[in-house]
Amino acid sequence: MAEILRKDARTALHEKPGAEQSESRTLGANVVEDGRYMPPPTDEDGKQWVRTSVLIKGEPRDLYGLWHNVEDAPLWQEQIASVTRTGEKTSHWTMQSATGTLEWDSEIMADEPGHRISWRSIGGDSENAGEVVFEAAPGGRGTYVTVLQEFRMGKLASGFETLTGRNPKQAVIENLRQFKALAETGEIPRTHGQPHGPRGAAGTVKSAAYAENVAQPPGLERMAS
Amino acid sequence: MKAVCWMGKSKIETLKVPDPVILNPHDAILRVTRTAICGSDLHLFDGFIPTMEQGDILGHEFMGIVEDVGRDVKNLKPGDRVVVPFTIACGQCEFCHKGLWSACDNTNPNAHLMETAYGYSGSGLFGYSHMMGGYAGGQAQYVRVPFANIGPLKIESDLPDEKVLFLTDIFPTGYMAAENAQIAEGDAVAVWGCGPVGQFAIASAFMLGAGRVIAVDRIPERLELARSLGAITVDYTEQDVSVLQAMRDLTGGMGPDSCIDAVGLEAHSNQLQGVYDKVKTMLMLETDRPIVLRQAIQAVRKGGTLSVPGVYGGLLDKVPFGAAFGKGITMKMGQTHMHKYMKPLLERIEKGQIDPSYIISHRITLEEAPHMYEVWRDKKEKVTKIVIDPWAEKAA
Repeated sequence: MAEILRKDARTALHEKPGAEQSESRTLGANVVEDGRYMPPPTDEDGKQWVRTSVLIKGEPRDLYGLWHNVEDAPLWQEQIASVTRTGEKTSHWTMQSATGTLEWDSEIMADEPGHRISWRSIGGDSENAGEVVFEAAPGGRGTYVTVLQEFRMGKLASGFETLTGRNPKQAVIENLRQFKALAETGEIPRTHGQPHGPRGAAGTVKSAAYAENVAQPPGLERMAS
Repeated sequence: MKAVCWMGKSKIETLKVPDPVILNPHDAILRVTRTAICGSDLHLFDGFIPTMEQGDILGHEFMGIVEDVGRDVKNLKPGDRVVVPFTIACGQCEFCHKGLWSACDNTNPNAHLMETAYGYSGSGLFGYSHMMGGYAGGQAQYVRVPFANIGPLKIESDLPDEKVLFLTDIFPTGYMAAENAQIAEGDAVAVWGCGPVGQFAIASAFMLGAGRVIAVDRIPERLELARSLGAITVDYTEQDVSVLQAMRDLTGGMGPDSCIDAVGLEAHSNQLQGVYDKVKTMLMLETDRPIVLRQAIQAVRKGGTLSVPGVYGGLLDKVPFGAAFGKGITMKMGQTHMHKYMKPLLERIEKGQIDPSYIISHRITLEEAPHMYEVWRDKKEKVTKIVIDPWAEKAA
């Protein structure tokens, strides 16, 4: 398995997303293979990669379950307006950014309950693929959750980056951070909606520079309302 | 409601803003009954802390009466009187489990800003820049408190607000500074800075067994308060006073067992290096003025401990790390793990071991706050600590 993952992470760099056979799309989110640290793939040919990890107080099984329930993704993923299941392994994603809507379909490629999920887009406005791995942390401290996400800088990038101020790689990092907050505390830290004095031009520019104009996902509040 | 807003460097205004509302299941809304200006708020006033935005509500020291709670807050109900820690902690993450509350993973929505500068982000703080979360502060009539299920300490006795208010920051901060100083019975402890945190560090050092406390400052009223606690004071601006010489003279030539830097990044000096740091920060070649830090590293005895409750923000120049290594010293520092200290310190207040209100010099209204920021910055009117009653119409 480790050998396959490593080979595919490398060859996937030279492939067009969505064009290859499903097996060769398998990505390697693994950080360690055969006792060696594996760095994340580097950006190449218009493809961007980001790998990010968190320690979550919780069981791999439960965290896998929370991630697997894709229709709840809008609770913790930034700017995801809705996710609808369209088949056993497929779902339709709608992303609402400050300036427009992106829609795409996604397909689950590999699904190992309690351990790993991988997916790729299969048409629409976004070309992306990713994998999440859940593994027990040493010392019984919880679960290491590692995400490897790959995407092409197309409409998704312009929608994300130029218009909302959130770098798409950073969005992957933020989404995992928010997944952790939701899993550990039942809420996502929130400042939008609190009072402040007039921001003025300088304050507004700063706020955008800090990506504070990206809507904060609702956490469980949406379930309550 | 009325709130004290940061409107730019050296520009603070009391403005009408909307009331806060519950945004998350573990939120509470407080009606603020007392709040205070912290010495570290002066770093914001002076523009030393990046990522402030015009319109930010200031204030991280406050207490009040619970007005409303989110649906998952079971430990508080409207009408409860609480003191709120200035650091926000979730209580569930690895760091909260370890008791490193100010390193909480789940309370800073702008963690990415701090990760860029520091590698990892600490917890969110009230009213202390967007890098620290961008939370609205408590120098206001109402405030929203996230994770009210974890942070706020209920005050069930009839102690007046002023006696318990400083559990919100400066008393625990001074206490942790003394704890970090690893004081053994009879130790000599030197404290730089006799502002509020320095005062509580001195008081706490004695509580933890210090045999001698040496206090360094230049403001007469602060030195007087320090002497009232039993410290020996050194005014570094007096003619012929060398702080390093004084430290040797007062410790049998050995140096203090522990040194506490309760000054931080805006230290003053009457020596040439003070000018050096001022010029370098003005030219943006350095962000902090580590004058006290340098002196404390020089002063501490071999194998001694340096504890730093004073705030540093960025890059420091000419820190004598060789001296630190050469003497084999221990350094401990950081934002206070508030949640660990509030309850035991409340017990000390209840038992009458300390009355933290002794440092208060000024009691003011929200409208007077902008002016008092200036007064305190300029060290006028013998300010030692300013407390605000957000509902008072004129000065008490």
